[in-house]
Amino acid sequence: MTEHILELNGITKEFPGVKALDNVQFELKTGEIHALMGENGAGKSTFIKVITGVHQPNEGRIKLEGEEITFQGPKDANAKGIAAIYQHVTNYPDLSITENIYMGHEKINKKTRMINWKEMHQDAKKLLESLGSKLDPKTEMSVLSVAQQQIVEIAKALSSNAKIIIMDEPTAALTHRESEELYKITERLRDEGVSIIFISHRFEDMYRLADRVTVFRDSQYIGTWNVVDITNDDLIVAMVGREIKQLFPDKTNIIKEEVLRLEKLGQIGRFKDISINLHRGEILGITGLVGAGRSELCQAMFGIEPYDEGAMYFEGTRISIDNPTDAIKLGIGYLPEDRQAQSLILQWEIKQNITLASLAQYSKNGWLNEKKEREIAKELAEKVDVKTNSVFSLASSLSGGNQQKVSVAKLLTTDLKVIIFDEPTKGVDIGAKSAIYQIIVDLASSGYGIIMVSSEMPEVLGLSDRIAVMCEGRLTKVMGNEEATQEKILEAAMTKEMAVH
Amino acid sequence: MKDNILQSLNLEKIAKFRELGLLGFIILLAIIIQLLNPAFLTFGNLRDLLTNTAILSILALGMMLVLITRGIDLSIGATLALSGMITALTVSAYGNLHPLLAILLGIMVGIICGVILGLLVSKIGILPIIASLGLMNVFRGLTFWVGGGEWVSAYQMPPSFKSIATSSFLGINTLVLIAVVIFLLFYYFVNNTITGRQIYAVGSNPDSARVSGINQTKILILVYTIMGGLSGLAGVLWVSKFASAQGDTATGYELTVIAACILGGVSIAGGVGKVTGVLLGAILLGVLSNGLPLINVSPFWQMGIEGMIILIAVLFNTNVKMLVEKNNLLRREI
Amino acid sequence: MSTRTINHIQDFSWKRFFLQWEWMLILLIIAIFTMNSSLSPYFLNYISITDATMTFLDKAFIVFPMVMIMIMREIDISVGSTVALSSVVMAVAYNAGVPMVLAIMICLLVGALCGLFNGFLLVKYKELSAVIVTLSTMILYRGIAYMILENQSSGGFPMWFSFFGWGYVGTIPFILILFLLLAVIFVLVLQKTIFGRHIYAIGSNPIASRFSGVKVDRVKLIVFTLAGLMAAITAVFLTSRMGSTRPNVANMYELDVIAMVALGGISTAGGKGKMLGAILAVFVIGYLQYGLGLINVPAQSLLVIIGLLLIISVTVTNLRMKGKLKKKTSN
Repeated sequence: MTEHILELNGITKEFPGVKALDNVQFELKTGEIHALMGENGAGKSTFIKVITGVHQPNEGRIKLEGEEITFQGPKDANAKGIAAIYQHVTNYPDLSITENIYMGHEKINKKTRMINWKEMHQDAKKLLESLGSKLDPKTEMSVLSVAQQQIVEIAKALSSNAKIIIMDEPTAALTHRESEELYKITERLRDEGVSIIFISHRFEDMYRLADRVTVFRDSQYIGTWNVVDITNDDLIVAMVGREIKQLFPDKTNIIKEEVLRLEKLGQIGRFKDISINLHRGEILGITGLVGAGRSELCQAMFGIEPYDEGAMYFEGTRISIDNPTDAIKLGIGYLPEDRQAQSLILQWEIKQNITLASLAQYSKNGWLNEKKEREIAKELAEKVDVKTNSVFSLASSLSGGNQQKVSVAKLLTTDLKVIIFDEPTKGVDIGAKSAIYQIIVDLASSGYGIIMVSSEMPEVLGLSDRIAVMCEGRLTKVMGNEEATQEKILEAAMTKEMAVH
Repeated sequence: MKDNILQSLNLEKIAKFRELGLLGFIILLAIIIQLLNPAFLTFGNLRDLLTNTAILSILALGMMLVLITRGIDLSIGATLALSGMITALTVSAYGNLHPLLAILLGIMVGIICGVILGLLVSKIGILPIIASLGLMNVFRGLTFWVGGGEWVSAYQMPPSFKSIATSSFLGINTLVLIAVVIFLLFYYFVNNTITGRQIYAVGSNPDSARVSGINQTKILILVYTIMGGLSGLAGVLWVSKFASAQGDTATGYELTVIAACILGGVSIAGGVGKVTGVLLGAILLGVLSNGLPLINVSPFWQMGIEGMIILIAVLFNTNVKMLVEKNNLLRREI
Repeated sequence: MSTRTINHIQDFSWKRFFLQWEWMLILLIIAIFTMNSSLSPYFLNYISITDATMTFLDKAFIVFPMVMIMIMREIDISVGSTVALSSVVMAVAYNAGVPMVLAIMICLLVGALCGLFNGFLLVKYKELSAVIVTLSTMILYRGIAYMILENQSSGGFPMWFSFFGWGYVGTIPFILILFLLLAVIFVLVLQKTIFGRHIYAIGSNPIASRFSGVKVDRVKLIVFTLAGLMAAITAVFLTSRMGSTRPNVANMYELDVIAMVALGGISTAGGKGKMLGAILAVFVIGYLQYGLGLINVPAQSLLVIIGLLLIISVTVTNLRMKGKLKKKTSN
């Protein structure tokens, strides 16, 4: 028996044009909870896929219980006792819990060659009970909450006798209470000798659970520490790689009169009682954990899914917004969180992407003026500095950061007064990040009211004039930048009680 | 935890309610028809009803598998006609051919048709609706072509062949017996074999199915092949029952078959469908087509009535789904 | 903020120009013309070529909206039934004493309503696919036609009504003139207007379109209503040409129309394809049918040919897309 159940050395994985992992190492002790941290795009997901056999590394060695092995596919890794629970739960919504647990390794009656439902249901029930869940294994998967689905996923991992369980941001969509349940289960698994790799953005998760933490940055291994030995600040430096301050431009924006006001805005099951205002020239950061209702609030303001209660005032007049077209007409723009799914048409040229939201400007009675369209596209693409040599290049050929710049350029075509940025730097590299920050500050300086939703605390602290924190669908705190600290934000993001203001 | 148990109860109740409701509706319909025309619930008429529903239910079971994988097969009417025509021509040329061989021949023809469709859908990735629409034309044209534009009529077929549909075993009509056997086989197949469950998995979440190592191409080819084989079988039974094979046999029958599935609670979006539901759906359509003429509803009204019932069933299903989702949201406390 | 210059003028490229699918269709038309004229010495003259269009253009009106529908990644298989229902309603209305002009108006209204109903169901119930919606209404619409007329036929229209199916303006068949006129309008609308751009956007990425302020629901409603309206125009020409109507007219028209659209290079994956391609495909299939009719190839063989054409053209488009994808990822 070696001390390390899993060892990876010198792992390099290249995709066409990108080095996703560059000579990375990792050691997992038997029976420990090991946190893996790093910013978006640091290489964590690729690394997980190497361990689970989805990707084969170009270089490097994997040792499992001291023996060197290679995985041909996910089934190989599974057979060797490695199971992963992914961020977006992948399951069969129409099938029962039992089937979800046993899909791929059903129990068969030797004599009749039939599926042994009785035994499977019983075993599934036992597994669930061992995880402290009273769910009926015959229940259809689609009626479960995300937290319950995750418990089923864990049961699935256990049913194949996993010795190593990888959890990829399992708490991302959970409420505080649900996370606490998950922590307990995870600890129980560790006590039973299972080794766990826990990936999370939440510092809270790491401090609460992990024995050791490994940090990746820009596809490289940075280091491994005992959790008790490393301070929060050191960890942030390890993850971000430089003093955070220099990432952010000097702010030159001047806050003027109110442009937007929400009064007791609510949407059934998503958020409630949101009252806040926004001024011209102001950057209002909205933060909170994933699932706190931030995106839902912004999408309601933009008319994607209308709010059910409360009122919105724009430049002093009460407005009602039923769809994005209304919002854009009024002067409210929205940069969606998922640019590939919600903003860009990847198989289109940059030009057509930039002009999609504002076609009326380059047309007369509905007929397009393509020359004018090209010119505006060129002007805006240059303004936000898209790295390309022609407006006819396809959006799919751009890197994440440049795709995001095209999304921003698209917003600038319309005559807006308020722009909502939803996770504007998600999945973009550091260079593009600071460029996007510069654009945001410039926009504020030229009089736009900016709302920026973000989970990345340095970003919220570095850019916002005011910071609003949401938790489980409610606004828990609004504070000025000068009084805001990471601790205060985290506290507000975790407590549901309204802070007095 | 507590309210989630309530939640699951609700959904299960709705699923049960659908089948019980369907059964209740069938019974209600039967009572109304019986009150208006006492000839409905007689032994002779019920036997007619069952033999007429047998072919429909055989096809509906096959279609259920296709729909569960998020597919659709519009070519089955044409496949049925082609297999019926080829079999009828064969038995009229070789009068002493054993009926079992004739059935086998029909099934083979159907399987070939199904494999072609399966390959187009799984290997080339053509949308099932478009691939089957194209093949429907091809098979229909071939039927006319092999028949030379002529009919094969009753007098050309040997009695042994015609007796496939009319004979009975242990007092049960052979057609009904075949349908019952297929129903039982299907029940076993979809509930108790790994392959059967993989069909549901592929339809419920194709991406997860890939990760679990399920061979999707194999599953897709399999369901279209089964569908083809059943259409081939149905072709033989159809021709034997009506004692005639024509170029336009069973034109548009695929729509009735799909209707039976939808009424039986099969979701076109994939992943959902039960053999008992499909059987009830087929019986409901059987009762309608048998009973409406008995209460003096013009046979030409049947298509319109069918269309309305299907639309209502589809809209009812979605409305229930939307309600459940909204309830889930309401239950979330903020 | 930057000094980078980005090119916004694209040089004309002969290669790109000739690599368009439409050239392939033009070659096909030439091949069919060659075949037809070798089959019949009477084919290759002005009268014969223009007259031939009267035999196949009726259903081609549905091709216009079907292109838009398929670019939006939807499908409408109820159009044949819509033709039947609007034709039957027109005939019954006329025979009930409604003036013919008004009866035609009613026909167009019924068609448009059928399409609108499809669109309404799709927009109202987001999780329903176009396949299931139009499959249901396909049965429903034809079913209603049967309810109205049972197995009878209805006709006896005024003389002037035959103008639609048989009439000429000068020496050109009226149907050809109307078709070409509408063709120009639809090409321009799809390729040169905001509405057209929105259709491509919806087919490529419906969610991003909505987030960009495209009124997705409204566009869908309009296009499906157009499909119904065009089906009604088809009904007018078809009924005029036949002189009477029955509930089983226009059976399987949806297949012919979808075959023409697919042959025209419109990808069933949505977002790709041009109106012009589908218009050329109308003539490819039309003249092929006409030519085979010249040598008395039975109608049934035509079924096989159209079915095969549909499958082959979709296969070719699919393989082309796959090839392109591979090229891109290997770069």
